[in-house]
Amino acid sequence: MTTALRDFIKNPTTAELELVARYGMQPEDARRERAFLAFSETGLPHRRMEAWKWSDFKATLKALETPASASAEDPLPHDGTLVFRFTPTGFSQPKVLPDGLRMVAQPTTQAVGGAEDVPLGALAAALAGGGARPATLTFEITSSDLPRLHFVFDGAGEASFARIVFVIRAGASLTLTESYLGGAGFTAALLEFNLEEGSRLNRTIYQRGGADEALAVTSLVNLAADSEATQTTLAFGAKVARMETRAVHQGTGAKLSLNAAYLSGNGFHADITTNVRHGAPGCVTRQLTKGAVLDGGTGVFQGKFFVPRKTGQHTDADMQHQALLLEDGAQVFAKPELEIYADDVECAHGNTCGALDDAQMFYLRQRGIPETQARAMLTEAFIAEALGMADESVRDVLLAEAQNWLSS
Amino acid sequence: MDCCGGTTEHDEDCDDVKVKDSIDAKTVEAAKALESENYSAGFTTDIEMDMAPKGLSEDTIRYISAAKNEPEWLLEWRLKAYERWLTMEEPSWAMVRYPKIDYQAYYYFAAPKAGAKYASIDDVPKEILDTYEKLGIPLREAEVLLGVEGAVETAAEAREKPRVAVDAVFDSVSVATTFRKELQKAGVIFMSISEAVHEYPELVKKYLGTVVPQSDNFFATLNSAVFSDGTFVYVPKGVRCPMELSTYFRMNAENTGQFERTLIIADESAYVSYLEGCTAPMRDENQLHAAVVELVALDDAEIKYSTVQNWWPGDEDGKGGIFNFVTKRGDCRGDRSKISWTQVETGSAVTWKYPSCILRGDDSVGEFYSIAVTNGRQQADTGTKMIHLGKRTKSRIISKGISAGKSDNTYRGLVSVNRKAEKARNFTQCDSLLIGDRCGAHTIPYIENRCASAQLEHEATTTKLSEDQLFYARQRGIAEEDAVALLVNGFVRDVLQHLPMEFAVEAQSLLKVSLEGSVG
Amino acid sequence: MRPMLKITNLTATVGEAAEAKTILNGLTLDVPAGEVHAIMGPNGAGKSTLSYVLTGRSGYEVTGGSATLNGEDILTMAPEARAAKGMFLSFQYPIEIPGVPVMTFVRTAMNAQRKARGEAEISAPDFIKKSRDVAKMLNLDAEMLKRPVNVGFSGGEKKRLEIYQMMMLEPKFLILDETDSGLDIDALKTVADGVNAMRDPSRGMLVITHYQRLLDYIKPDKVHVLAKGQIIKTGGPELALRLEQEGYDGVLGEAA
Repeated sequence: MTTALRDFIKNPTTAELELVARYGMQPEDARRERAFLAFSETGLPHRRMEAWKWSDFKATLKALETPASASAEDPLPHDGTLVFRFTPTGFSQPKVLPDGLRMVAQPTTQAVGGAEDVPLGALAAALAGGGARPATLTFEITSSDLPRLHFVFDGAGEASFARIVFVIRAGASLTLTESYLGGAGFTAALLEFNLEEGSRLNRTIYQRGGADEALAVTSLVNLAADSEATQTTLAFGAKVARMETRAVHQGTGAKLSLNAAYLSGNGFHADITTNVRHGAPGCVTRQLTKGAVLDGGTGVFQGKFFVPRKTGQHTDADMQHQALLLEDGAQVFAKPELEIYADDVECAHGNTCGALDDAQMFYLRQRGIPETQARAMLTEAFIAEALGMADESVRDVLLAEAQNWLSS
Repeated sequence: MDCCGGTTEHDEDCDDVKVKDSIDAKTVEAAKALESENYSAGFTTDIEMDMAPKGLSEDTIRYISAAKNEPEWLLEWRLKAYERWLTMEEPSWAMVRYPKIDYQAYYYFAAPKAGAKYASIDDVPKEILDTYEKLGIPLREAEVLLGVEGAVETAAEAREKPRVAVDAVFDSVSVATTFRKELQKAGVIFMSISEAVHEYPELVKKYLGTVVPQSDNFFATLNSAVFSDGTFVYVPKGVRCPMELSTYFRMNAENTGQFERTLIIADESAYVSYLEGCTAPMRDENQLHAAVVELVALDDAEIKYSTVQNWWPGDEDGKGGIFNFVTKRGDCRGDRSKISWTQVETGSAVTWKYPSCILRGDDSVGEFYSIAVTNGRQQADTGTKMIHLGKRTKSRIISKGISAGKSDNTYRGLVSVNRKAEKARNFTQCDSLLIGDRCGAHTIPYIENRCASAQLEHEATTTKLSEDQLFYARQRGIAEEDAVALLVNGFVRDVLQHLPMEFAVEAQSLLKVSLEGSVG
Repeated sequence: MRPMLKITNLTATVGEAAEAKTILNGLTLDVPAGEVHAIMGPNGAGKSTLSYVLTGRSGYEVTGGSATLNGEDILTMAPEARAAKGMFLSFQYPIEIPGVPVMTFVRTAMNAQRKARGEAEISAPDFIKKSRDVAKMLNLDAEMLKRPVNVGFSGGEKKRLEIYQMMMLEPKFLILDETDSGLDIDALKTVADGVNAMRDPSRGMLVITHYQRLLDYIKPDKVHVLAKGQIIKTGGPELALRLEQEGYDGVLGEAA
């Protein structure tokens, strides 16, 4: 190892020292070191970093501790799916994998592109592996009629890290669901998706965590020509939770739908951050994020479309974020951003933020629907719009989870 | 800028009737200049100057303060700011790139020789009067009146075409302020801030630095240390200022920085509309402009602040031009007060400017209407901050950015709602227009809502100039550049209508000139 | 006999405390069961305010007087409680509810009202059958009932949907606020047929309108003229015709 452990992070916090120690226990590996260096550049991200100004992991995550709360039940159906399960100490997989799906579990780290932009993704890559767990788990998809793949991240422990890479070959398609159920004090996962020409991905993420947990799911999505990715997230947040997606359109005609709903209660913080680069002409992005926040809860939305000169021509991109502050004491921070260097484009974004509409509330109550029920009905309808593109097999479950939260 | 007239009751002020002819002649000359070059204000004026020693030190500040014969408290205020500035770092978060500024390479004070203020307009050196005339800024009240003689037919029209009182700032000092007597009759104080320090020290002391604190940011702190001149306005209780007030800033001397400081106070139920215009000669070096503007509106008061900024933008290759690093902030201190910013930004090489409103009073209103045009290699990072503190406060942001050439144009804004700002409302609309494929348009809004009963709405679009529309106009016989101007005017109409009429006309022609050479 | 709706000396303001404006200024009105009363008046007379005050919209404050439905004070009740007691307002401008299909909405309302009254919920087949019958009578497309409430509906469709809800919920007391506005003659007839089908000896109705036109189709038992927040004149159906011919100024001038 070329860098002395104590020199990795300047003025480290207790949590950062523990992360360095965990890194020190991993086998030597140049790519692992590069990933960890990318993280240690800043240490745990904090509010003085522009991209993290509203989600301060350094201040929130003081030490790595097993949280008081157990992991949540997984509401997503397992029937007829291929289940892969990560716990802080273990990993399990189906006994037999069908044709068209190949899995490689490696003990070594794979390089992370653009690691410095995703410090917690780099951290996940650097600390994944050890014991029964692979450092890098790679899937190759060559079929378009695989059963749904379902990943579960749960289990009691101080910290849990995972790194998964998907390669969806030309013309193949994948339906994927992930349940992040908490239970570990700090969970960091890095998932990468490489969509080859004309391939399809439908991905659904369910996230639930305890009020004393930190969680960061970082996703890197590369879209080749005419590929299509649809992502739906339902996040309930944690003490601090960030669901970050960075997508790059790499071939003409690629299409990306990024939808998310966050529901943040007292003591919870849910952050949806996205960055989409239109690196090829004529690509389409549709993004809808909806949030509902209660007293003591925080919601964060940061979205960015980057349209480079020339290669970004004929971009068609729309970003909408709508948040409801359901009670006094709720707070929502948003930064919908456009950075555009190509002229023949249609780019728009919109943001609304406030209480439920008085007129709608009165209309429902005039028809005899009690206030709390009216509020729940309107909020459900509001949130449901962001969940409509989730895979059919889980859509109703997501809706029911949102409803349960809203009516409890 | 067009001259603006009044009614005949001011005829006794007209001491020189022949002036009208000379204005017309100059107007023709100015119009010709417009045809021949893009930046008509790019000439220099030859006049002897008193300059502070080059560079920035405690001595420079003592020199400025002594030259202006300032009271001790103000010198101390400046020195405190300077001490603070030394510990600060130049901000780097804006989407602008420029070479490192050597703060020791500038002159921080430059005044025409023969004193700070002329006793009467007749004492103002001819070169300076000519400069303003050439720019279309009338300093002789008579000219102001004669400029539109016969044009004002009815009382209603007279209200629509109000006269404009002008404070002319040439490099570091105010050289002339018009219509002071008439304003005095109404109780309105309108003078350079240097004069106000002597004549109304209590008012200045009470409000200076209360909206933009000394240590607010790097450039504002620098301004607090070295500010040269600027305008002071106080409109007393219940007074509706009888005419538009205006300051015209002209940077002339080489290697100078201009650091004006403007302070406008509208007392309870007062109203004032204030216009600001700026130009500078074409020079190869980058000149530095770091102004501070503070507005205070008390209960039921309203301040309307309009800017047409046309500082020299540098040449096509990005050589020269003004670095425009400005801090403008309004404080709606009183209930039901209102502050409205309107800006047309066409000049400067680099602009860093966020006119803001602190909506402190209940039911207070903040507005920001902006047109920012960048061409050549200009870079603009501009927008606003609306800080909602009071109940039922409302804000409205309309921003139109137009990028052409190899320029970058960024809207950056913050809407922040405090948890006590019940039922606050904001509406924001940011539209960007791209002309050509070598420029950039960026939108970076920050929205922070901590109040459940607040309603915030933001919309933004980015599009290119429509080729269909352009072709349609050209098919009907409109030249390409005129067609561009026509479409751009349509794009910015929502904002133009918030400018006082005489400024709107100037703004339209500025837009056209700024975009010349952007298509084809 | 005790009137079904009894409004006595009602005063109400609209707006925030400091800028509150008095809109209803001592309004007194009785509507017995089985009768249809029309309220006419010029713009700004307080017609819509009256409908909102009776149904409990926020932003309107009752500063004096009383209003009872079958002897019960309704002014202190929540809007949904008033609805459960049978108050139904057909909105002048029906509200759009994105994401909530009409059927879901009405069924939720119906069951909430039944629950509040201690009644059993309606079964799904019964609800669907009832909905089908009502929709048929109002010429409503079944597809329309699957769409979100009022979203993308034309003005006429919105008004028909109000009547559909009314016939589904079977309220005891109906307030029709400018139901004729924005309707062509055919739509007006359909809407009026629906309302007339609801006429019943046990049901009261208040028809608020600016024009006499609607009253050709929904014949009132009494006509009241509302101006400056008070009922200043009451008469039979002929009063509406006089208003149409002489204008409000003529009739108001005589009353003053």
